[in-house]
Amino acid sequence: MVGGLAGMTGLAGAAAAAGGDGALAAGTVAGPWWVVLIPLLPMLGVVLTLVCAIFDVRTKAPAWMSVACLAASFGLAVLAYLELAGGPTAVTFGFRWIDVAWGDGPGQRLSADFAFAFDGLTCLWMLFVTGLATLIALYASEYMSHDVGVGYCRFFAAFNLFVFSMACLVMADNLVLLFLGWEGVGLCSYLLIGYFYKKPSAVAAAKKAFIMNRIGDLGLLMGMLLTFVQFGTLKYAELWPLVEPYVAAVRAGHADEVPFLVGLIPVLLMVGAFGKSAQLPLYVWLPDAMEGPTPVSALIHAATMVTAGVYLVARTYPLFLVSEWALPVVAWVGALTALLAATIGMAQFDIKRIMAYSTVSQLGYMFCGMALLTSVGGAFHVFTHAFFKATLFLCCGAVMHGFAGQLDLRRLSGVGQMPGWRIVGLAMLVGCLNLAGFPFTAGFFSKDMILAEAFVTAGPGYQAIGWILLLTAGLTAYYTFRVFFRVFVGPVEYVPGDEHHADEHGHYHEEHGEHGGGLQRPAPEAHGHGFHPHAPGWAINLVLALLAAGSIAAAGAYFVHTEHHGWVGNLLHGSPAEPTHSAAFVESHGHGGVDAAAHGSFFGLDPHKAMYFVSSAIGLVGIGVAFVLHYLGRTTAATSRADALLPKVGPVARWAQGKWFVDELYDAAVVKPLWVLSHVLHMFDKLVVDGLVNAAGWLPRMVGRAVRPSQGGVLHGYAVQMAGGIALALVIVWLMTL
Amino acid sequence: MMEKIAILWPEIAMFAGTCVVMLVGLSPRAEVRRQTALLAGVTLAVAGLLAANSPGVAGPLPGMMGFVKGLTAAVGLMLVLLLAGTVDRAEERAIAEGRTAFNPLRSTRGEFYSFFLFSLTGVMLCASAGDLIWLFLALELTSLPTYVMVAMSGKGVRLGDRAGEAGVKYFFLGAMGAAVFLYGFALLYGATGTTRFGEMAAFFAAEGVGPMATAGLLLALVGVSFKIAAVPMHFYTADVYQGAAAPVSAFLAFAPKTAGFVSILLLVSAVGWLPTGGQAPALPGSIDAALWLIAALTMTVGNVLALLQTSVKRLLAYSSIAHSGYMLVGVIAGPGDGSFTQNGLSAVLFYLLAYGVTNLGAFAVLACLERDAESGEVDSAADLKGLCRTRPVLGWTMAICLLSLLGFPPLLGFFAKVPLFTSLLGAGRYWLLVILAVNSAIAAYYYLGLVRVVMLDEPSAESRSVRATPFVSRPVAAVASASAVVLLAVLGNGLMVASQAAGQYQRPAVGDGHAARAEARTSDDARAEARGSDVGAERR
Amino acid sequence: MAPTLANDGLAPYLPVGIILLMAVTFAVANIVLTMLIGPARKGRTKGMTYESGMNPVGTARKRFNVRFYLIAMVFLVFDVEIVFLYPWATTFRGLEPGSEESALWLGRIMFFLLTTVVAYVYGYRKGVFRFD
Repeated sequence: MVGGLAGMTGLAGAAAAAGGDGALAAGTVAGPWWVVLIPLLPMLGVVLTLVCAIFDVRTKAPAWMSVACLAASFGLAVLAYLELAGGPTAVTFGFRWIDVAWGDGPGQRLSADFAFAFDGLTCLWMLFVTGLATLIALYASEYMSHDVGVGYCRFFAAFNLFVFSMACLVMADNLVLLFLGWEGVGLCSYLLIGYFYKKPSAVAAAKKAFIMNRIGDLGLLMGMLLTFVQFGTLKYAELWPLVEPYVAAVRAGHADEVPFLVGLIPVLLMVGAFGKSAQLPLYVWLPDAMEGPTPVSALIHAATMVTAGVYLVARTYPLFLVSEWALPVVAWVGALTALLAATIGMAQFDIKRIMAYSTVSQLGYMFCGMALLTSVGGAFHVFTHAFFKATLFLCCGAVMHGFAGQLDLRRLSGVGQMPGWRIVGLAMLVGCLNLAGFPFTAGFFSKDMILAEAFVTAGPGYQAIGWILLLTAGLTAYYTFRVFFRVFVGPVEYVPGDEHHADEHGHYHEEHGEHGGGLQRPAPEAHGHGFHPHAPGWAINLVLALLAAGSIAAAGAYFVHTEHHGWVGNLLHGSPAEPTHSAAFVESHGHGGVDAAAHGSFFGLDPHKAMYFVSSAIGLVGIGVAFVLHYLGRTTAATSRADALLPKVGPVARWAQGKWFVDELYDAAVVKPLWVLSHVLHMFDKLVVDGLVNAAGWLPRMVGRAVRPSQGGVLHGYAVQMAGGIALALVIVWLMTL
Repeated sequence: MMEKIAILWPEIAMFAGTCVVMLVGLSPRAEVRRQTALLAGVTLAVAGLLAANSPGVAGPLPGMMGFVKGLTAAVGLMLVLLLAGTVDRAEERAIAEGRTAFNPLRSTRGEFYSFFLFSLTGVMLCASAGDLIWLFLALELTSLPTYVMVAMSGKGVRLGDRAGEAGVKYFFLGAMGAAVFLYGFALLYGATGTTRFGEMAAFFAAEGVGPMATAGLLLALVGVSFKIAAVPMHFYTADVYQGAAAPVSAFLAFAPKTAGFVSILLLVSAVGWLPTGGQAPALPGSIDAALWLIAALTMTVGNVLALLQTSVKRLLAYSSIAHSGYMLVGVIAGPGDGSFTQNGLSAVLFYLLAYGVTNLGAFAVLACLERDAESGEVDSAADLKGLCRTRPVLGWTMAICLLSLLGFPPLLGFFAKVPLFTSLLGAGRYWLLVILAVNSAIAAYYYLGLVRVVMLDEPSAESRSVRATPFVSRPVAAVASASAVVLLAVLGNGLMVASQAAGQYQRPAVGDGHAARAEARTSDDARAEARGSDVGAERR
Repeated sequence: MAPTLANDGLAPYLPVGIILLMAVTFAVANIVLTMLIGPARKGRTKGMTYESGMNPVGTARKRFNVRFYLIAMVFLVFDVEIVFLYPWATTFRGLEPGSEESALWLGRIMFFLLTTVVAYVYGYRKGVFRFD
């Protein structure tokens, strides 16, 4: 329930609300007031764009307003980083949001404030969320320009709302506010995937994403409630001291002292994280989510929202340490997802989908990073991935924008060599090198930290995980450069897509309506010879250049603050996500800290050093294979040498192309039975429940009919009835008092 | 005397403003006349500020006065926006076009706004009332201007004779209601020998409630229930709300209802909620039974009649009856332990605020739409078809306000309804709780039906032909109401705290009353003196 | 002690009730007796409105100029003023000059007079005093 209910708990609660958050938890300090503006500015953006929608603004004004709001928000995030990072957690109280008490005992008061806690982890996420949001909003100002008008406003309103929700999620000082943000980003994701709501596939994808996320959200909600039941609070600062004894027990090897229900919490939270971050078995929504406009894919479904699951694990790390097997499960799910998604990505032809599967795969890496007790590696990978994956998506978006929606790598070739496409090609190269883990790129360093830790940390089958991740790294390098060599270099050739909006930026929706919702794919010849690739304008080029530069610069973060494993490690130092409390960590790293003698080894070598060479080699092999198969001797867009290899691997390639038929499996195992059940229930509903409801609805109407004549409209009739009523009331009371 | 003036500053400001408005509205110069509404608004703002600083008063409900006055001023300010253009529309246009000269006999602007302010002054005076005579005069000051306002409002929009007919009906039935509660007041005086609530409460505390007092209180309550449109005094409601122009209907749903509930709270708290062996405190049996019956019938009759309506104004009128029934429930539940969830009196006061704000929005949307200047306002539900498409701002305002009236979470109406339920629960009145819940469900049918018309239906040719009225401030009032409905749900904590403080009930001690009475008898002005001494005692 | 009738029941009202009963009986009995005993003749002239011997002209439901009402209302304003002023004046004479109480009384009547002035100005503005 909402803020007002605070009053219901009596004046005590209200007084506390009036005086701000009187009692700061131990170890936190009061933060500056302007932290509140970081989420509020995007909210202002929502309001402004909606006002634009109401006044039917047909210019790019909503985009500029959004960019301004987001940039200001980013500026404040930077300021917050400069002021607050490194210090104790700074809590800024917004207002009392929920405060319901049903007794005075512990755990009988549920209170959650709109309060924002700022520590290193928050800083890291807020910096790239607001920064990327600003850049991508700028990019979208051009990308969405064919839809200027109400649709444009709708897009930016949802975009800003997303940033607001994400800020709430990341900056929350309690799980309830995190959950609000969590649901908010899910809603915005739904709204933006379904942005082209006249396109049935987009609507279906939006629904799929929403429902898959609901399953995950249920897990998170149950985990949250269980946390409240077990610990009586949902505020991080109050929660960690209560969790601490259990963590200590597990570290001391007395895992059996932890109650079963406490051990269940991380499992439930995990389900939430897997739903939001598209891990097995809930990953199928993310590739379909590419139906949304590309800036959305870049921001929400690659860089920020999908990392919310990783953030949840990092944020509630102590809760994951109370169970011996919570983190191993996360590690295995992450590793298997990484491998599965990479194999699917290898066989796809739609470049945006390849990137989507790559995102799923890389998210698997991040979870592994978290679970393998190198949350620094996980977070660092989140950070670098945000930059290079956004770059990759935006390059794909530029191609899609320029070639009328064409995304098939068999119909595009040599794009990077066309006039006006140079920056896109270069940015794509930078992104691909990062994703492939080419030596000395940011992606290389962040991936290495995870890979090495797999061989260092003691755990069930962690060595195997290390090998899976190494294999995946090779596959990643292959499919990444498959895209690059097919689309961006080689002979210049293209077939435009069916979203013909020419140069005058015609009306997208109307055209789609004529095409029957955009489902049909008319023959390319239908467009005749009038089509010219639409080279990106200054906004797209500027953003791509900045992002590519950022992707390169992110590598630098590895070399500062080396005592804490880089800049990210320095930020995480002292936050709950630091893994030094774990039993497994102590076992494998000794008590001395991160740099003490490593117990794990990689063929007798120190994995941290060996991995530089091993992963470089594997990445280069992947790139080399792609070079040979998809670049050398390729003369047309549609064919390559790889085609000759396909028959030799048999049906495996077809299965991979069919995404291992996971969607079909879900359909047969879950959707169909539910469909049958729902029809049975529907019949019951129609025959029995409706009958009862209709009867219940009939009664008041009959009473109404009966009473209606009393409203005859005649003055003296009313007077007589009133007098009669008074007399009746008196008589009844008189009879009662007899 | 001075103590009395100290609590009367808002009313004094209102009276002064009323005098000015009455004269300014008759100015022969159009630009001066145009300032009438502005002056009324300024008056209300000043009164509201003064009310915010008004001191607490002695008596069973010490905190209520300031809250009610503030509430009156705040909703009054929104009403001023809504009332623009209700009267003299054709007249002013003719003058502006030079077709006719200003004729003071034909102009009703000054009277209209001064009656409006007079009526609100009456509401404030009700809250200040400490004795029966004062209360009677205040109630009449609230009602008499409304009778004329109803009849007047027909002039601007050509509602035909309906406004006149509504005014006459309202006047005669109102006079009858006034006679009934005046008779009840007389019996109360006869039974207790005093007109002052404080002494009356002491008397009841000492000697119990005899049959004559019961009869008097019952007649007073039934008579006052005319003001709140409760069964059996509800018959006028639909005809009058439909006959009057929409802004005036919005006013009728607020001012007399607030005055009525304030009076009921004052009257009932003079008797008090007495402990009943082991149970939660309740009103004396017969009064409780009568109120129970009135509340149950009021909500049921209001809701079932609203089910059959196609006229939006009539629907809102019947729903206004139903809402009175809901609020009476809070009176029955009593003060509980004083916390917001348990205190039925706070719930009533907060509900008055929520209902006043929300209902205003619904009427404001109607006031913003018209067929043409001659044939008058939109009233049929068919005219609102697809309003969200044709006029998104008005459509969404309507939808939000209707959902709030329904008590749909997380809007203001929901937070107003919850304490009514919880206070009933706390008082252990389960049957009434069931009736309230069933009625809320019935209400959902017609509210959601109208929401469907507004939001989901395709606009018809008929509803497209509706046009907007040329008064800018009306949609502003509508949007202000809808925003308040949404924002106060989140930020309304302060108001909840205020209404909780306003609903604090202090049981009169048996001993004190006689002493206060003896002391009061010697002074020039007994009531002020009794209050003054108590206030003074608190200060000491 | 004020006359309190709370617990005395309805006994004190018995005389009032008897008088009421007598009055109603007298009136009803007269009418009934007239109907029974008196001769009843009907006709056009007999049913004519009684206007003190004059033949009635036109209808009684005639519209009067609205000014009659306005003047009647203004008259009421001053009438009520006098009604209040007279008792005030007689009491004010008895108060000690210069005392706080007399100042209070003076203030009260001045406020009351102010309201009548407002009413007068309103009437003037409304054009009640223009007879053209």
